[in-house]
Amino acid sequence: MWLIPTAFLAAFLLWPIAQLAGTVQFSELASLSVWRVAALAFGQAMLSVAGSLLVGIPIASVVSRYRGTRWTLALVTVPFVMPTVVVALAFRSLFPFDNGLLLVVLAHIYLNIAVVVRVVGATWAQLDQRIDIAAESLGVPPWQRWRTVTLPMLRPAVLASAGIVFIFTFTSLGIVLILGDATTRTLELQVLRQTSVLLDFSGATASALVQLLLVAIVVGWLVRMNRKLPPRLPRDQALRPLPATQTGKVRVVGTLIVTNIIVLVPIAALVIASLRSSGGWTLTWWQSLTSIEAGTTRVGSPLSALGLSLTLAIITGIVAALIGGLAAMTVLGAKTTRLIAIIAILPLGISAATLGLGTLLAFGRPPLDLRATGLLIPIAHALIAVPLVVAIVAPALRANDRRLVDVASSLGAAPTRAFFTAYGPVLRIVMLAAGGLALAVSLGEFGAASFLGRAGTPTVPVQIARLLSRPGEQSFGVAAVLAVILVIMTMALILTMDRMAKRVRT
Amino acid sequence: MRRFTAVVISALIVLAGCSQPTEQAVRMLTHDSFVLSDQLITQLKEDTGITLEIVSVGDAGSMVAGAILASGNPTGDLLFGVDNTLLARALEADTFASYESPELANVLPALRPGTDAVTPIDYGDVCINIDDRWFAERDVVTPTTLEDLIDPTYQGMLVVQDPATSSPGLAFLLSTIARYGDDWPNYWRALRDNDVQVSGSWSDAYFGAFSQAGGDRPLVVSYATSPPAEIVYAEEPKPETVSTSVMVDGCYRQIEYAGVLRGAANPEGAKQVIDWLLSAPVQADIPLNMFVFPAREGVALPQVFVDFAADVPDPLQLPPDVVSANLNEWLVTWGEVMDR
Repeated sequence: MWLIPTAFLAAFLLWPIAQLAGTVQFSELASLSVWRVAALAFGQAMLSVAGSLLVGIPIASVVSRYRGTRWTLALVTVPFVMPTVVVALAFRSLFPFDNGLLLVVLAHIYLNIAVVVRVVGATWAQLDQRIDIAAESLGVPPWQRWRTVTLPMLRPAVLASAGIVFIFTFTSLGIVLILGDATTRTLELQVLRQTSVLLDFSGATASALVQLLLVAIVVGWLVRMNRKLPPRLPRDQALRPLPATQTGKVRVVGTLIVTNIIVLVPIAALVIASLRSSGGWTLTWWQSLTSIEAGTTRVGSPLSALGLSLTLAIITGIVAALIGGLAAMTVLGAKTTRLIAIIAILPLGISAATLGLGTLLAFGRPPLDLRATGLLIPIAHALIAVPLVVAIVAPALRANDRRLVDVASSLGAAPTRAFFTAYGPVLRIVMLAAGGLALAVSLGEFGAASFLGRAGTPTVPVQIARLLSRPGEQSFGVAAVLAVILVIMTMALILTMDRMAKRVRT
Repeated sequence: MRRFTAVVISALIVLAGCSQPTEQAVRMLTHDSFVLSDQLITQLKEDTGITLEIVSVGDAGSMVAGAILASGNPTGDLLFGVDNTLLARALEADTFASYESPELANVLPALRPGTDAVTPIDYGDVCINIDDRWFAERDVVTPTTLEDLIDPTYQGMLVVQDPATSSPGLAFLLSTIARYGDDWPNYWRALRDNDVQVSGSWSDAYFGAFSQAGGDRPLVVSYATSPPAEIVYAEEPKPETVSTSVMVDGCYRQIEYAGVLRGAANPEGAKQVIDWLLSAPVQADIPLNMFVFPAREGVALPQVFVDFAADVPDPLQLPPDVVSANLNEWLVTWGEVMDR
């Protein structure tokens, strides 16, 4: 079972990195500036993590437990796929501060709410709420119930989501590039400068390796923290109706309303941009969707880009759910196989440029030219999505009661059958949640897709970036249209996945 | 099945009918901004039998980085889009095979490189763009020289891009170095004191900060061809004139080259494609698709270029090897001056 994820990661992650590591001079690793940037990025990432948890956990507490929250759950996933250029421009117009730490952290929180809500929510939905309800009926105040009952059970998921948000914001590129200043530099930005402006590969790879090393340390620490936990009693929970008390209702409905406002305001700015021109309101940009630049090599039609992005997203969702799911199951096994779960999280810490260059060196030319097959982008997307799948599936599996396997075995079930009897129900729900997030990652991914390149149609985010790299109001208008469509597509995909998960549940 | 048979038969007929052009594939690596009309590529196939596969691999910098790393064992047959700031590094890494195109004789003499490793295909100028309407509404005279930009009259009006992350940003820094020599850090100190804004990318500066798009800065580092693009990429009916113009002083010239990659699978095909890129029909197609000027002499420009693109009389330039040798140090110094 652990063979498939191991082979996948070895071939598409470790081998390309090894190809690049050969070009490093070790004196570069000792360079002071690399570590100074690392320290700056560390501080910024810690603030972003704190903010994301502060905003994300209250939302998760509502959307994972109450009925009528599916729309909001889907909505919070949307920022995650919005092109960073677009989010950055929206934040610039919404907040009147200068570039810098505050703006970067706010944008990071916005983009990463989805991670906290999805990862924590997936475990929260599985928690045995009877303890909480019992405590409530005994008159234990909410804060104490949260501290002594819920938080200990959620800890693996909270730590996992904190780890992912840390890694995302520690390695942030687009947001830092547009909204940052000297105090918000990241190693990822350093890699970009070194590869594409200075052409200093040795320096770039050194920065990339330092980043990878620090990410590996964080991931290792997380895994250690999580190992200390006792097993939990599992209960597949039905969603509750709204609380009966007035204050409870206000709390739940209030959280939903605030969440919708937070997420929708930048999206509304985008919708308005797609309907505006210098002459006032217009539908021109939406109408040009099928025909823009027909007859040139550039983009074909935006519709074909949408088709391509959708296809890639579905392939990524399936591959990532499969590989990530199998990798996550290794956390249940022996110590050695647990290593796979750690390695599976590492792609988060690798810059798209590093991964892209390494992949090119490893698979971009004969004898193994995968570029012609068009497989490189789905592989890169799956690599980026696998860690998220592991982060969602592993805590949920760990929270499951291992004794169920023994019960099934003692009743005569074969090992595989026993495993699926014990873990099957949990697995199906979390795998669908994880698959949904993987789809979203693929839809919004820009870096690797642009770098790996291929003949013919670009993906939607690449097309948006190309449109935004030339003058004219058409460029901005059509880019806004594509971003709105990306948002709608994400919503549709996530709602479908959640509906499937619900059907499995009942 | 019947359709398949029909395709095979017609293909055989075509092959039998014209034995001259041999069927071959050529793979061209290029950057995200490459655009040509599809019909020219079809024509190339008809004339020479070459199926041109265009692979875009990120921005110009990432593309050259990939080509240098794969030097001698390339992922394509030719590369289009290495410019004069990146060229020296690509040449040092011995990325290209020599080829002297017969079409080179038709290229503007000023563009010819001192090497036969690459062939110039097009050129463009990075210049300050001016929001004329903004200045007219406030009754302020528009700036005309680099010196004007550090004048208090223009305080808080200019937005530039970070040279360490943006190609036009780098070109603007190089133009100030070409103009002021070793004294360039003082010019940037003066710009900083005059409240220049630094953006991370061209899109952010042009669509975010530039007053033409709703920002509050009426001066932006962009291209000499941005004003005609404002017309071509406008809403229908296209406007007849444009409210931005170009400051022709202090422009930096970018020349884009193509080259046969050393170790290419099909070097002969790659050479034919380079000749084709310099042919009159392709050169005439370049301006409206990529918003740069053709390298070939005597190619008629589209009317919108004649009317609104700036004709820069004395563009600034630095030799590629000087750029390559000093770039890192310049960027570090720039970062210290600008506190970035």
